[in-house]
Amino acid sequence: MSSAPRTATERTKLPYCHESFHNLQELRHSASLANKVFIQRDYTDGTVCKFQTKFPSELDSRIERTLFEDTVKMLNNYYAEAEKIGGQSYIEGCLACLTVYLVFLCIETRYDKVLKKISRYIQEQNEKVYAPRGLLITDPIERGMRVIEISVYEDRGSSGSSSGSSTTSSSGR
Amino acid sequence: TPSSLSVGGALGDPSPFRPSRYVPVSAATAFLVGATTLFLCFTCPWLSEQFSSSILLYNVVIFLFTLANFCMATFMDPGIFSRAEEDEDKEDDFRAPLYKTVEVRGIQVRMKWCSTCRFYRPPRCSHCSVCDNCVEEFDHHCPWVNNCIGRRNYRYFFLFLLSLTIHIMNVFGFSLLYIIHHTKQLDQVRSAVTMAVMCVAGLFFVPVAGLTGFHVVLVARGRTTNEQVTGKFRGGVNPFTQGCLKNIAHMLCSSQAPRYLGHLRKPHSVQVQPPFLRPPLSEAQLAAKVLDNGIQQSKSSLEIMESQSTDADPPPPPKPEHRYPGLPHTQNEECSLLTEAPPTPSLYKYRPAYSSPGKKHTASTHSSKMSRGNSMTESPSVPVTTGQPSYRSDPSLSSRGGAGCRGGGEGGRAGSGGLGGASAFGGRSYPSFTDTLLQSAAASCSSSLRSAHTAHNALGPLISEGTTSTSYKSLANQTRNGSLSYESLLTPSESPEFESAAHDTAPGAPPILGYTSPFLSAQQREGSLQACPAPLRPSPNRAFLRPTSSPPSRAPPLSPRARSLGSPPPGPAPGHTSLGKSLSYGGGAELQHRPSSSGGGTPMPKFTYISLFFPPPTISSTVKQNVANHNTHSHKPAGGVKKVTGVGGTTYEISV
Repeated sequence: MSSAPRTATERTKLPYCHESFHNLQELRHSASLANKVFIQRDYTDGTVCKFQTKFPSELDSRIERTLFEDTVKMLNNYYAEAEKIGGQSYIEGCLACLTVYLVFLCIETRYDKVLKKISRYIQEQNEKVYAPRGLLITDPIERGMRVIEISVYEDRGSSGSSSGSSTTSSSGR
Repeated sequence: TPSSLSVGGALGDPSPFRPSRYVPVSAATAFLVGATTLFLCFTCPWLSEQFSSSILLYNVVIFLFTLANFCMATFMDPGIFSRAEEDEDKEDDFRAPLYKTVEVRGIQVRMKWCSTCRFYRPPRCSHCSVCDNCVEEFDHHCPWVNNCIGRRNYRYFFLFLLSLTIHIMNVFGFSLLYIIHHTKQLDQVRSAVTMAVMCVAGLFFVPVAGLTGFHVVLVARGRTTNEQVTGKFRGGVNPFTQGCLKNIAHMLCSSQAPRYLGHLRKPHSVQVQPPFLRPPLSEAQLAAKVLDNGIQQSKSSLEIMESQSTDADPPPPPKPEHRYPGLPHTQNEECSLLTEAPPTPSLYKYRPAYSSPGKKHTASTHSSKMSRGNSMTESPSVPVTTGQPSYRSDPSLSSRGGAGCRGGGEGGRAGSGGLGGASAFGGRSYPSFTDTLLQSAAASCSSSLRSAHTAHNALGPLISEGTTSTSYKSLANQTRNGSLSYESLLTPSESPEFESAAHDTAPGAPPILGYTSPFLSAQQREGSLQACPAPLRPSPNRAFLRPTSSPPSRAPPLSPRARSLGSPPPGPAPGHTSLGKSLSYGGGAELQHRPSSSGGGTPMPKFTYISLFFPPPTISSTVKQNVANHNTHSHKPAGGVKKVTGVGGTTYEISV
């Protein structure tokens, strides 16, 4: 959840028009979660992990289509790399058999490594691209890799004058 | 690293401790370890002295490998999905259909809504009733390891079977060798022990080798046990296979799949602060967007590919008061219905606290019945979908143990249930499967309830997703622990929207097996409900029965309603007594459980009814192809009903 508006009294103390540090703090707390968009899996190629690159209409006014598609395509590439059956996975398998699977206690599997890369990538994308646009991507692994969850935040305004309404609506949420 | 054995559901309510679950695994462990230890202690020393010390080493290595795979299969998380959070299920329960269709390599696959786990089960995923979890690439629930076998641990299970077979052969062979050399000293303790071990080995060899062979075939064909025994790919089209070699490589050599349970939600470390950047949006874009939303809603429903678009597209809600008879049937009306609801996603408000009970109990006259029925849906091992041809594509088949892994006889209902339902649409021979039909009907009734009124119409899955479904998702959700009662479901007056099954006589009109178009599957779903009441009524030309009362909670399907088998059930609902129980894998074909109160008919032998129900399918690629207004029935119900032919000759009607 984003930082919800603080108490009404906190906001009423702050004047609307002052370009002050307090106003910045006011701004900081005035984004609230408005919606969640779920990017579903694309099963056209079977059960490999792949997400739909179809641009959801909810994000139409929030982010450029190309940025979004780049992110999803990158994620799909990462997952394809993780699930690739190649040299490293063969070696891992043989080693696991030979060591009676004790090797899993010591090393990180290929998939785990890629998942970490993905996590870092998502973090970086959030910082650079999505958070400035009031969006946040949740790592699909937290959702069982079934969906990419994008939280859409709304700028709820920073004014003390609107604090009443904000309070009401925030309490209603 | 292997996960700990989970007794309860993943992040769900812990199930009560059931010691009976541990009997098979304890017995298996005891036999394996005990017999091998005796063998190694009594038989091997002499053999090693007499022939070669490598005999002992070899046996020890094989035994350790077997044991390691056994432990991995037992303790490893099979690929359990954690429960979805509420915000993921943002669709109104009343609107959300029971099934969503996706296309996998050109074949329509249905994803069923799991009301326990609160998401649409991915393809090949199934909910295990024993473990009360949805498992990815669910194979079966194996009682001998007391664990589900799924994506993550199938490899270990397979290697366990393989190594166990080899181990048993070793033990038997070397024991035989010992006995042959000690025929004069059979009264010795060693010889006696060796003979006992030999007997145990010989006894277990047949089932273990059989199961191993079965799984070798499964791997080669790229199927799971679940899919095999429910006959999903009987027609021969398995969208998940990549060829024999690749299947084997994928099973053995792919990287270890990740655990989902271990990755819990973390709070975002990145803060979101306004003001936010906005992408530039021209006036034309704005205008187009607004227009596009409306158009897209209707168009997308026509596109099968759109079926992959998801919860992100808010389904226009049909009002619960819209009833069947008054339901618009034309595309225009459907479009208007679609545009009635807030079409633009931006209008959708995020509802953080989803208060389902309130919605769910939007009272319908049949809500209670539906609940009861839907409670079946909740029993994860509901076989409902198993038998039905369209459900074959449904990955959410009930959990089953491996064919050879089954400990008890509980699995029968699963297979019979679904298959019975299939007969309703088989177009032929369905009457003869009354037994299974009743069983499955009851089971399928409940599960189909969620989708029953969604009526995948010709316009495609999107419509069915959002517009035509009734509150079944919510009803399904609310009845997780409901008691099972099928009587109410089986009377035609209470099964709304099911007209008599005036199936045309399309011979070999198979409700497709496995992967059907949503079009067909929708009508099969609806029909399946009616299949419950009328398992014994083969006459395909029955007049339509309008439902005498329609539950208000059900939003009527906007378009074709499936015709179902017409007559009221001949007897009380089949006793799906075991439906609610956790079951290990019973095998679709193993009708081991027969409801005592079934409406008659004899249980079909193991796999024959599968072949009867699932004749060679005609796989439809698009819904559009299926929308053919053939008036296949002579009878035209009053009020005007358009008959549309689905795949395989099954028909359904669009009420005018």
